[in-house]
Amino acid sequence: MRSLVLLIFSILSVTVASAQQNASKSTSIDIGIGFGSSQGTLSGAYIHNWNIGKQQKIQIGVGGRITGYLGANQYYSTAPAKLTYGKTGPSVFFSENIEANIDTFLIAKPQVFAINALINLGYKVTQKITVGFNIDAIGFSFGDEKRGNYINGSQGQNATSKPTGFNLLLISDNDLGSLNSEFYGKYQLTEKLALKAGLQFLFTEYTTDIEVQQFPEPNDRFRNKSSMFTAGVSFNVK
Amino acid sequence: MKKILIIFIIALLSSCKEEDATPTAPINDDFDTTTATVLKSGTLAGIGHTVSGTVTIYKSASSKTVVLDPFSSQNGPDLKVYLSKDINASSYLSLGALKSTSGKQSYEIPGNPDVTDYNYVMVWCEQFTVVFGRAEIKP
Repeated sequence: MRSLVLLIFSILSVTVASAQQNASKSTSIDIGIGFGSSQGTLSGAYIHNWNIGKQQKIQIGVGGRITGYLGANQYYSTAPAKLTYGKTGPSVFFSENIEANIDTFLIAKPQVFAINALINLGYKVTQKITVGFNIDAIGFSFGDEKRGNYINGSQGQNATSKPTGFNLLLISDNDLGSLNSEFYGKYQLTEKLALKAGLQFLFTEYTTDIEVQQFPEPNDRFRNKSSMFTAGVSFNVK
Repeated sequence: MKKILIIFIIALLSSCKEEDATPTAPINDDFDTTTATVLKSGTLAGIGHTVSGTVTIYKSASSKTVVLDPFSSQNGPDLKVYLSKDINASSYLSLGALKSTSGKQSYEIPGNPDVTDYNYVMVWCEQFTVVFGRAEIKP
């Protein structure tokens, strides 16, 4: 895991360093809401972009994002890749889930706050329109303790859980904690203000106080994967 | 900022779905209590909801069965019958979906376990994690 983290940050460092040469810069503050089935988010991000390429249409950026997630009656599933795919590492991306290993933890009112460093990639289609993708990379989460219902066929347990504290982007179910990402389109209304809309894909994760899942091995981590529509505004600050 | 919060709350509320409720037609399961042995029983009481009735666990030749008779419950979404070891349902067996909001109904206990450690029968709204009613059961 440590080597993967180092690899991600090495690639990012090299990319940013090369982007800094002969590139114009822009900085924005983005505020958005996400809304899906019985769930929603409110997020704010600070993003510093380097505009690269001959016509400076490609944007590479880094920044930070705070995401507040609120849901109602959300089902969390077994999180560790070791259980969901029977292995860890990049190869899980090309593997099938092992359904028999995946149990459910139902939380009536999940509420998670995540503060993460993010990576942004964008492309200026025209002077006014930009499309892009951003994803949280590393950070931490917090939130109130919640009681949830662990459901495994006819057997169950009600147990206490908290948002998993440490967030880290790896690959697929290797991820840890709560991570937000979005595909977006941005329309520049004025020099300072743009409208932003797109699709948000959010992982939130809870850790139970006891290892409620026992088979095929003990587990206390459960993840919810949410797809939501997102809309908001982007303010150019530099 | 205030407007954004209002839009956020409206979006969240409008995305809530109507859930399937429990059937309301009274039923009368044909479980024969005269040929079975009573192991435990108790009286159902509503917890913030209207639930009433009597719970009895019967042992027959090869299985154990929870019988609700008489029984009446307020309706709700995703109602289940739980056999729990403690009052918080920290460890329970789900006996399945509540068959009806009224009438005699029986639920076979999966796995035919020793029921000595199970002390509560609950009517539980699973989707919303809310207990509708429960009975403490004793020999």
